[in-house]
Amino acid sequence: MQGSAFDEIELFRAIAQSGARALLIGRRALVVLGIPVLTGDYDFWLHIDDIAAFNAAVAKFDLRPNRSPEEARAHGRYVLEDDERVDVLVARTAPTVDGGRVAFDELWPRRQSVAFSPGVSVAIPTVDDLIATKRFAARPHDAEDVRLLEALRSKERGS
Amino acid sequence: MIPPFQPPAPEAVAHVRELANRRLSAEDFDAYVSAPMGKAERDEILSLVAWFTRRYATPAERLAWARRAYARWTASAPRR
Repeated sequence: MQGSAFDEIELFRAIAQSGARALLIGRRALVVLGIPVLTGDYDFWLHIDDIAAFNAAVAKFDLRPNRSPEEARAHGRYVLEDDERVDVLVARTAPTVDGGRVAFDELWPRRQSVAFSPGVSVAIPTVDDLIATKRFAARPHDAEDVRLLEALRSKERGS
Repeated sequence: MIPPFQPPAPEAVAHVRELANRRLSAEDFDAYVSAPMGKAERDEILSLVAWFTRRYATPAERLAWARRAYARWTASAPRR
């Protein structure tokens, strides 16, 4: 069975060309890293000043924001959706379940670029930072994802 | 004769979704992620990763797999 005809590589191309500082987080980032998990949506952590550029880039995919940029900044997150759903975190910092905070500006300089084809890449956090983002929602599957990522990290470190 | 599959009641499905999407306490989350990882668990995870990255060698292929897998899952999952 095929997914819909939605072209996610073109989505990533549009985002990359927009110049918006956007990190792919959530389970789709795990899939990119090589961990086969189920997910239906896209999760991005976007710099708070880049909402308009991001929205303009994805508008051609009929992805419409549920909040204005001003409302999104006030709430810290918003959703773009049509046939696809994109959850966008735009807070400068996000709280973790244990009372800590993670700042976008700390993760962004450490990002990894994953190339899909010439001219198309997506930015994802380091494995350590991806683990930190899993502490935002702290659902049971986030805890499971942390263990998967920690196994991957142990392999990368050769331990 | 094996009886035909009866899908669970919508209330039961909603309850399971609620459980799956609940926010754990800091203590429960840490208890789960901090539990020691044995060699068997680590080897199983890394074996899965090795298969997945061998079968789907590029990030684009992995993302395409994710879309197909999710489409299969939603086609067979109980309706909301």
